[in-house]
Amino acid sequence: MLASWKARLFVGLSLSLSVVKASGEQFDEQLTIQSLRDGKVASTFSFKTLLKGVSPRDPRTLGAEDASQHYNVFPLALGQILREYAVTELHLSLNAGRWNYDRWGYPKEPAVGTGAELWAWMGDGGQVSVDHRWMGLRNALAGLFCASLGSLDEQRTTSPDRSFEPEGMLPDWGVPHRIRHATLPSENVCTENLTPFLKLLPCKSLSGIASLLNPHRLFDADWHGMGIHVLWREDEGVEVRLTFQSVSDPVRSSLGRKRDWSFRSLFDRTIDRQCPIAKTSEITVALPSEGSYSINPEPSVVNAGKASFDVATIDKPLDVALQWSGDFQYVSGFDKPITPFSVQRTLRGSSQAHGQLSVIVKNHQNSTQQVVYLETMPWLVQFYLHTLEIRVDGVRRDGIFSDIAYIPAVPHSRPATFQGILTLPPSSALHLTMDVTKSFLRYTEHRPDAQRGWDLPPAVLTVLELDSNTSTARHPVNPRIYTSTLLVDMATPDFSMPYNVIIFTCSLIAFIFGSVFNLLTRKFVVVRID
Amino acid sequence: MDPPTAPTNFWTQLLLRPIQRFSRNGSTNASESRIRRRRAVVSFITRRLWLLQLTLFCTGYLWLLIIPSPRLGRRTYIDENALQPGQVNTYWNWGDVHAADKNLAQLEALRDSNATSKQRAEFIRDQFHKLGVSASTQNYAFSTGNTITNGTNVYGIIASPRAPGTEAMVISASWLSRTGDGDGTLNLRGVSTVLALAGFLKGYSLWAKDIVLVVSDGHLDGMHAWLAAYHGSTQSNLQADHLDLPSGVIWTALNIDYPGHSFSHLGIFFEGNNGRLPNQDLLNSFQRISLYTGGVPVLVYDHLDSREHPDLSGLPPWIPTAVRKHPEVQSYVYQAKNVVRHFSYQARGRPSGVHGLFHQFRIDAITLFAVPATGPHGFHAIGRVIESTLRTTNNLLERLHASFFFYILTGADRFLKIGSYLPSAILISIAMMFNGLRIWSDLAWSEDQPEIPEKQKQTQFTNKKTWTRRTRPVIKVLAIMIATHVYGAFLFAAVTSLWFSDNPKVASPLVFTIFAFIPLIILCALPSEKTSRGSLSATLKALNLCLASTVISITALLNFSLATLLTILMGVPLSISATSKKFAVRFCMYNVYIVLGIGWLFLQDETLKAVWHWEILSIWFAPFVCLVYTPLVLQAGLVCLLPQ
Repeated sequence: MLASWKARLFVGLSLSLSVVKASGEQFDEQLTIQSLRDGKVASTFSFKTLLKGVSPRDPRTLGAEDASQHYNVFPLALGQILREYAVTELHLSLNAGRWNYDRWGYPKEPAVGTGAELWAWMGDGGQVSVDHRWMGLRNALAGLFCASLGSLDEQRTTSPDRSFEPEGMLPDWGVPHRIRHATLPSENVCTENLTPFLKLLPCKSLSGIASLLNPHRLFDADWHGMGIHVLWREDEGVEVRLTFQSVSDPVRSSLGRKRDWSFRSLFDRTIDRQCPIAKTSEITVALPSEGSYSINPEPSVVNAGKASFDVATIDKPLDVALQWSGDFQYVSGFDKPITPFSVQRTLRGSSQAHGQLSVIVKNHQNSTQQVVYLETMPWLVQFYLHTLEIRVDGVRRDGIFSDIAYIPAVPHSRPATFQGILTLPPSSALHLTMDVTKSFLRYTEHRPDAQRGWDLPPAVLTVLELDSNTSTARHPVNPRIYTSTLLVDMATPDFSMPYNVIIFTCSLIAFIFGSVFNLLTRKFVVVRID
Repeated sequence: MDPPTAPTNFWTQLLLRPIQRFSRNGSTNASESRIRRRRAVVSFITRRLWLLQLTLFCTGYLWLLIIPSPRLGRRTYIDENALQPGQVNTYWNWGDVHAADKNLAQLEALRDSNATSKQRAEFIRDQFHKLGVSASTQNYAFSTGNTITNGTNVYGIIASPRAPGTEAMVISASWLSRTGDGDGTLNLRGVSTVLALAGFLKGYSLWAKDIVLVVSDGHLDGMHAWLAAYHGSTQSNLQADHLDLPSGVIWTALNIDYPGHSFSHLGIFFEGNNGRLPNQDLLNSFQRISLYTGGVPVLVYDHLDSREHPDLSGLPPWIPTAVRKHPEVQSYVYQAKNVVRHFSYQARGRPSGVHGLFHQFRIDAITLFAVPATGPHGFHAIGRVIESTLRTTNNLLERLHASFFFYILTGADRFLKIGSYLPSAILISIAMMFNGLRIWSDLAWSEDQPEIPEKQKQTQFTNKKTWTRRTRPVIKVLAIMIATHVYGAFLFAAVTSLWFSDNPKVASPLVFTIFAFIPLIILCALPSEKTSRGSLSATLKALNLCLASTVISITALLNFSLATLLTILMGVPLSISATSKKFAVRFCMYNVYIVLGIGWLFLQDETLKAVWHWEILSIWFAPFVCLVYTPLVLQAGLVCLLPQ
C-alpha cells in the first residue's frame, strides 16, 4: 500500500519535473574550487536560473496591471520585486573580509568590495521616477535578505555609469537607462542573510551542490561573500545568478602544515544526492600546476588543468578531496602580486579635522595601462580637489589623470562622485594624494551605537584595454578592483558621564573664580548724593 | 498653644550673627545696606587675604606630599565592560616557546656576527615570510646637528579573517631595550617573542582586527620613523620610506621589552610624549591578566616592591624601626617612589619607553618590561599574557574612552583619580592668583594719610581716610614681559644651536653669563623715569603672578607633573619677590632668580637630551622651559631688581 503510494508520488513528481524542464526555465549549478598560492582554498558557488524569452518590465507600464507571474524554478520573491520596480539589471553583493588581490588574484565574481553593494540599471520614464523606484527596491531587498540595505539612502547613492556598465543588455524602449549605485561598507554578512539566499534556490540546501552551503563552515572562512545578479540578454531572457564565494584556510584548521582539503574539511558536508531540477550540476577543481598531489574520486573530465565532476552521474555521497604528498611551505615571494597591478588606499593623518587620501597604484606590467578610478565618498569626508597631486616613482607628473568628472558632496545629503582615467606608465608606482576635510557632525547625526569611527566605501578601479585600432574605443574587459575600505575618526564628543562631571565642575569653578575676581578687583562705596 | 520658639533661637542667632556683623550701621535704605554689607564682606576677606593665601599654599603643598599616601588612592578597576580581561582560555604552549627559543638562537647568531641593521631587518622579514605573514622593511634616517641616525625597521601584518582590516592592534619590540635608555642592551627575547607570536597568532581565526607586528630599529628613533610613515606625518629632519603594506587605524599597542634571561615580574611603563597617558583600562586589564592568567606579578616600572623586599626601602637607618616597619610608612615609601618616577617622566614629557610614541596618534600603548631576574618566568608566561591581552583588546568595539586618561598610578593595582590629585596644584595657583590680584587692586589707590594708627586702620574702613586713584604702568610692564619672552626665544635659539650641542662644556657657562647680564645691561641702557617707578615693580609682580598662576592651572590638566614642578619652582619664589631700597639686596635677589631661571644650563646632559627630544620627537619640554618658565622667573627677578 505504502509502496504503491510512494511510487505514484514519484511518478507525479517526475512528471512535474519534466514539465519544468520543458518550460521556459532552466537551472544550472556550478562549484569551482581553486587552491591559492598561500595555502588557502577559494570556492565559488554559482546557481543560475534562466527565464527564457522574458524581458524586463518597461517602466512606462508601471501604472497598469502587470502580466501574471507563474514561475516554477525562478524565485518568485525576487521576481515580484523586479517587476514591481521595473528593474532591468540588478547586482547585490554582501561580503565580509578584504579580498587580497595580490595573493589571490582576481576573484571569479568581481563584486568583492567589503560590506554591502547594490547597483541597478533602470529605465527612465513613466510615472514613477527612478529615484523613487530605487528607494522601493532597496527597501524590498532589505526585507528579502534581512540586511540593512534600507540605509543605502540618498546620502550614499551615486550614479557612476563609467565604472559599472551593464553586464547584460539594456532593452531598447526608446527611453534612457539610469544607474543607481550605493555601498554600505559596515554591513556584515552572516547566517541571517544566507537563509533567505538559500530559499531562493529551487532545491534549497537539501540536495545538489547547494547542500554544501553549511553556514557553520562558510562563516568561519577567511573571506566570504554572497551575490545576487539579475541581467537580461535579448536572445536568452532574464537570468538570475546567485553566487557564494569563500576563501578558507586549510593550513590554519589542520593544526599542522597541510593544505589538503576535501568537502568534509571545507564544508563539513558531502553531496548525498543531486538536485533533480538542475540541468547541469558541475564541480570544477583547478588542478595545481606544481607539486605531487592526488585527487579523489576520479574526475569525470580533466581538461586544461581543470578536473570536472558531473554530480548527476558520479557516485554519491560525493566528497572531492585533494591531497598533497608533503607539508605546505610558503614559497619565497608567495605574496608577490599576481594581478597586473595592485592598489593601496589609505587615509593618513591622525587629526580629526583634516587628513590626506593616499592611493598608490603599482603597474607590474611592461606596458602602459589605463584604469578608471572611482571614488563614491559620503559627505563625511570632503575632497580638496586643488590639492590633488600625482607622483610617478616619486616624480611629480601632470597629464596622468584625465577625463575627470566630479560631483561634489553636499553636506548632510549627497555623497561625492569622483571619477577619472589614470594612465599608468609601465612598471611604475603611481602615487595620488589629495587633502580631505572631515566634516563636523550635528550631534543627532552621531550613531547611538559604539563609536568606532565611520566606514568609508572602497574605491573602484576598472581596467580599460586600449583598443589596438583606435585608442578612443574602450571597453572595460577586466574585472573591477575594489580597494580596502577605510575607517575615519570624526570629531566625537565623549558622551560618557565622567566628562559631563568635568564640564559641570569647570563651570562651577569658573563661576566661583568670577565672583572672587569681582570681589578682589572692585571696590564698593556708598556715594551720598546731597 | 505657644509656638515652640525656644529651640530655634540659638540657631537663628548663630545665623544672624554674621549678618548683623556686616550690617552694623542700621540704615533705612535697603540697597544702601546691601552695598554696605557687601563692602563689609569684601574688606573682611581682603584684610585676611594673606591668611587665605597662606592656607591655600599650605594645603596645596601638603596635598602634594600626601599624594603617595595609601589612604588617598583606591584600587584599580575595569571601566570598559567590553574588555573582559582574563576570561579566555589561552592556547600559547610549549611548542610556541620552542619556536621562540629557536628564533632567539638565530638572533643571537646574528648579533654575534655583527650584522648590520639592514641584514637584521631582512632576516626578520624572511622569518615572517616563512610563517606566511606579509612583511616589509622600512629604511629611515634622522639628522640632528652633524649626526645622522640610520636604521631599518621591519614589520609584518596578519590580516584578520572576515574583517575589513580597518582596525589594527600593534605588537612591537625595539631592537634596543629600554634598560639604560637604549644604551645598547639588546631586546633579543622581545624580538623573538614577536616572531613566535607571528606564527602563533596566525593560527586563529578569532581576530577582529589586523595584527601589526613591528620590530623597530634603535630604541625610540625606529618606531618614531615607522609611526610617522604610517600616519603620513612629515618632519624636516626625517627621511623615511613609505610603508608598502597598509593596515587600518591602530587602536592599541603593546611593546615588549624582554632584555634578561628570565624575569620575575612584568613592569608597566606607560608615560608618553608630552606627558600623555594611555587609557587606564589597558593597564588595568594587563595587570589582571598577568596576575591571574599568566601568574606573573606586576610592577609599576622596574623597581621591586619595597614592602616585599624591606632592604630596598631606602629609608635612612636613623628612623626608628617601629616607624620604618610600620605598614603605612612602607606603603608610603613604595608609592612615593612610583610617584616620583612618574613625575620625572611626565614632567619632562619624556616617553618612558617605545610605547610613548604611540600616544600622539591617539593609540593607547604600554610597554611590558620583563624585569630581569634568575626566574621563574620566561617565554611561556609572557606569551600567554600577551595572547590574553590581545584577546582583550580584540574585544573592543570602540576606542578606549571615558575619563580614564587622568590618573596617577601609585602601585600596580592602586591609583589616584583626577579629583584626588588635581586640587593640590590648583590651590597653589589660586593662592598665586589671589596674591597677584590683591597687588593689582591695591595699586589702583594710594593712601594720602598714612599716619593713621594701626589699630584704627584695622577696625575702621570708613571714609575717614582719603584714597586717591593712581594709574598703573600697564603698557610698560607688558612691554617688559614681552621682552622677557623674546629673551626666552633667544635663549632657546642659543640652546638648540649647533654650536651649543657641539661644545656644551664651554657653551653652557658662556650662555649663562651672557643671559644673566643681558637684562642688567638693557635696564641700565633704558632712560629712567622717576615718577611712577615704584609702582612699576609692583605692577610687574601682579601680572607676573597672574600669568604664572594661569600657566600652572592650565598645565595641571595637560601634564600634572609639569604643573607640580612649576608650583615647586615658582609658587613660593614668585610670591615673595619684592624690591628693596638697597641696591645690593636687589642685586642679590636678582641673582638668586637668575640661578633659578637659567641655572639648568649647567645640567648639560639633561639640556642636550631635552633638545634631542625636541628635535626628534617634538617634545615641548625644552621650548616650554625657555619660552615660559625662564621668562616668568626672570620677571620675578626684575621685580626685585627694579628700584622702589
